[in-house]
Amino acid sequence: MATQTPVPAVLDQTTSTACRPMWLEVLHDWVTTVDHKKIGLMYIGYALLFLVVAGFEALLIRIQLAIPNNTFVSPQVFNRLFTMHGSTMIFFVAMPVLFGFGNYLIPLMIGARDMAFPRLNAFSFWVSAFGGLLLYFSYFGGSGLYGAGSAPDVGWWAYAPLTAKAFSPGHSTDYWTLAILLSGVGTIGTALNIVTTVICMRCPGMKLSRMPLLVWIYLVMSLMAFVTISPLTAAQIMLMLDRYLGSHLFDTQAGGSAVLWMHFFWIFGHPEVYILILPAFAFANEIIPVFSRKAIFGYPAMVAATVGIGFVSLSVWAHHMFTVGMGAGANTFFVFSSMTIAVPTGIKIFNWLATIWGGKIRFTTSMMFAIGFLFQFLIAGLTGIMLAVAPFDWQLGNSYFVVAHFHYVIVGGILFMLFSAFYYWYPKMTGRMLSEKLGKWHFWLFLIGFHLTFDIMHIPGILGMPRRIYTYEADRGWMIWNLLVSSGAMIQTVGVLLFVYNLVRSYFKGAVAGADPWDGWTLEWSTTSPPPSYNFAVIPSVGSRRPLWDLKHPEDPDNNYE
Amino acid sequence: MSQAAVIPQNAPEVWKLPSRGIVGMACLILAEAAIFLIFVVAYVYYIGKSLSGPTPRDVLTLPIFATICLLSSSLTVHLAVSTLHGDKRRLCSLWLAATVLLGSIFLGSTALEWYHLIYHDGLSIRTNLFGSTYYSLVGLHASHVIVGLLMLTLALIFSLRGAVTTRHTERLQVLSLYWHFVDGIWVVVFLVVYVLGR
Amino acid sequence: MNNDEERTQSGVVELPSPTAWPMVLALGLALICTGMVTNVVIGLLGLLLFVWGGIGWFLQVLPHEQHVEVPVLNEEIEIASSRRLKARLPASDMHRKILPIETYHISAGIKGGIAGGIAMIVPAALFGLIRYHSIWYAANLLAAGGFVSWIGASDAFLSQFHMQGLFAAIAIHGLTSLLVGLLYGAVLPMYPRYPIVTAGLVAPLLFTGILHSALGVISPILNQRIDWFWFVISQVAFGLVCGFVVNLHTRVRTAQFRALPFAVRAGIHSDFAARNDPAEKADKKDQAQ
Repeated sequence: MATQTPVPAVLDQTTSTACRPMWLEVLHDWVTTVDHKKIGLMYIGYALLFLVVAGFEALLIRIQLAIPNNTFVSPQVFNRLFTMHGSTMIFFVAMPVLFGFGNYLIPLMIGARDMAFPRLNAFSFWVSAFGGLLLYFSYFGGSGLYGAGSAPDVGWWAYAPLTAKAFSPGHSTDYWTLAILLSGVGTIGTALNIVTTVICMRCPGMKLSRMPLLVWIYLVMSLMAFVTISPLTAAQIMLMLDRYLGSHLFDTQAGGSAVLWMHFFWIFGHPEVYILILPAFAFANEIIPVFSRKAIFGYPAMVAATVGIGFVSLSVWAHHMFTVGMGAGANTFFVFSSMTIAVPTGIKIFNWLATIWGGKIRFTTSMMFAIGFLFQFLIAGLTGIMLAVAPFDWQLGNSYFVVAHFHYVIVGGILFMLFSAFYYWYPKMTGRMLSEKLGKWHFWLFLIGFHLTFDIMHIPGILGMPRRIYTYEADRGWMIWNLLVSSGAMIQTVGVLLFVYNLVRSYFKGAVAGADPWDGWTLEWSTTSPPPSYNFAVIPSVGSRRPLWDLKHPEDPDNNYE
Repeated sequence: MSQAAVIPQNAPEVWKLPSRGIVGMACLILAEAAIFLIFVVAYVYYIGKSLSGPTPRDVLTLPIFATICLLSSSLTVHLAVSTLHGDKRRLCSLWLAATVLLGSIFLGSTALEWYHLIYHDGLSIRTNLFGSTYYSLVGLHASHVIVGLLMLTLALIFSLRGAVTTRHTERLQVLSLYWHFVDGIWVVVFLVVYVLGR
Repeated sequence: MNNDEERTQSGVVELPSPTAWPMVLALGLALICTGMVTNVVIGLLGLLLFVWGGIGWFLQVLPHEQHVEVPVLNEEIEIASSRRLKARLPASDMHRKILPIETYHISAGIKGGIAGGIAMIVPAALFGLIRYHSIWYAANLLAAGGFVSWIGASDAFLSQFHMQGLFAAIAIHGLTSLLVGLLYGAVLPMYPRYPIVTAGLVAPLLFTGILHSALGVISPILNQRIDWFWFVISQVAFGLVCGFVVNLHTRVRTAQFRALPFAVRAGIHSDFAARNDPAEKADKKDQAQ
């Protein structure tokens, strides 16, 4: 913070570091910042805040479903809970936290001093942050059906005609639409910034073929955001036209089509899953090699697989709509395209395995989460292939099997890799190590809780329990499974609370990290932890994919092998 | 001084990267194109699905003059950039003014068309599916024209005050890219609404 | 970035100056949205902030971007590995010997696939002519797998000419031929001694075996009416012609070749055992450092 004050000539920092700035000054510092690292941290902090909120909503849902005929919350509140849980987790937890890491790491990894458009970066952050606040303001803000509380209750996909003015009076759905619209604006802004940064701000020698895979993946993910988030924005504009100006785009009584909304939503919705999982792949690509002490296996194949996923993921959306009745031709197409995407994903899994193979593995908490990710993502992918088979989907579509599948992807895949990334880059961000002992506790508690919840959640789905139901009768035979699932959720909660405690405690009492605690190979480890506001005193110049390896082993640089 | 990763043998090579403004604008255009794509898909999907009149054949006439104006404004904005590049600032202002004028004519004729549709033909956004899709698609394009015109007017004002110099060529070029995009989209909208849709 | 060097010499780095305008603009936008769900006054306030923020932002970047000069801290960072031990795993000489150092260009496989695909049509059409007196029979049979309505079609129906059947058959046949041709181009250099014989006879037989067991799932109608004798003949025709065409092309060097020592690349030294050493080194380099 001290380096922010403009002291053009004098290099003496003692006066400004000695007295702590007052809290107002600190606040002013953060509000006006255009530094990509601070914006990244704000993204992460705000995502963690919403993670706690949306996680709490999930807990309420699980308590309600733990036993049959439960009336812990009312049906109306239950509808709001699953709507808010889904929307918050996707738009205000997953997206911001991934963009936060991207914001923080990309300029550091490509040897730049900031993002390409620093002010746009700040704008994007603030607009999505205000979007989240607007969404939650709905709890106090407008009036819903029968004047009751007004949080949106139409599901996170908001299928037409449920969103029509007749079925959703008041403003609850508008809160959802506007919040998503704002978050979409922020997302497009950040994606634009990332693409431009990666293309225009690389340090000398950092060719595209030498970029860290994390940067590559964020590039592909941001490009996907343009063709994915924009359709959602367009669909939200149409929905607003319907609700405010009375047009009939999704009005079935005037000849409009409810299925068209489904198409528009899932054209966004499915690539979105890949937008979320790609950064998880990105973290794995950086973390697994370092803790296996080997270069990533098959760098070009990894890049090709990423681009392949980017393209194929744009043509799979209608596998969310097999039960709509699209006809044999469309069903066949989407079955095959959905299965095709397993190929590049499989290439990635094999490459990670080959990277670990024969390496000197260091089982830090970060690496343990990464290994958990590998296994769980594989299982999530396999149930995904099952659901991609249209007849199987007719049987289990809209059941808890589907819920279990996508939570396996998001929690078992994305969240595990996010925890891994936290343990890996926390020292760089704060200058302190996270406690490994608490980390191991966190890992095992969360792993056990995760498997208890989401492995078992498949079973009530197969037994026929539909998703989004408020409660169920005792004689269905679902109770024991739901009870187990809910108890798993409690264990996960304890794990997450430990993690939060670890974050706070380590910030003050953690061991001092130093510039390069993991013996890493990418440029972010060549500067201090936390990095100064200018990142690098001298813009680096690189000659291979692992510039720090070259510096550490000048006798055997990577250059010879690429 | 923090030591950075320096590999000496690679330092001398020339390191040139594309300009930020142009890449950023290209990204924005990609995102905007996706938004338009969804509106165009909705329009095409709902062609002939209205339950009541008026139909496109009844009320739409080809806006030939407005289209010519808008498309030729693409040429004038290009000339503005190239004259600024050649440091002919007066000429640049002239071309910018022409662009703003042509764009305004387009916008004005769209407004007239809407007025006619609403008050003579009784077609509003609430009337039927054709009205809904027509006003949303053409309106989306018109809003982009408005944004573009605001920016161009701003550039024109600065240019008239003499504040625009060759240093700003790239910024003007980025703006002209946006304007080309708006014009290009109009070709699509024109084909879909006035040719295919009728 | 050109005057970077001199900036660092003077001990400062230029960074974009902190500004609250983006936040004001975002707040304005959010308040406009809030105004739509609450009260129009809030929306107007948002519009005000939006315009205000826009102007402020504009003045930040035009006529020229505002900067702050941040002093560079003098801090020495040593970049060194914490582990000094770097070992390579012992590996046998046989490791990675299968990868070819020469292969065909990708176009060879495509051309081979096209040639083989054309050659395959001859026995297929012959089969149709002899058995059903129609050259369209084989094409229609192939296409029938793609049309749900054709599942119970009669022989007479399949003997007639159908435009859509022909197109579907061309699409299926063309795509498969291209893919198999590419596969031939890739695997031919790896076959020992007589590549055309192995590729032209053994591979079709193996492929027929796989298809024999799987065809019931892929295309039931084809499975019922297929004549396996003629099928094998057309497969062999494909294999021989495709292998022949691919073999006509000259080989190109793969990336593996670049890893060879200079003496081998220059043709001075051709010891086979030495050939794979560097590739191995690249493979093993990072292990157990």
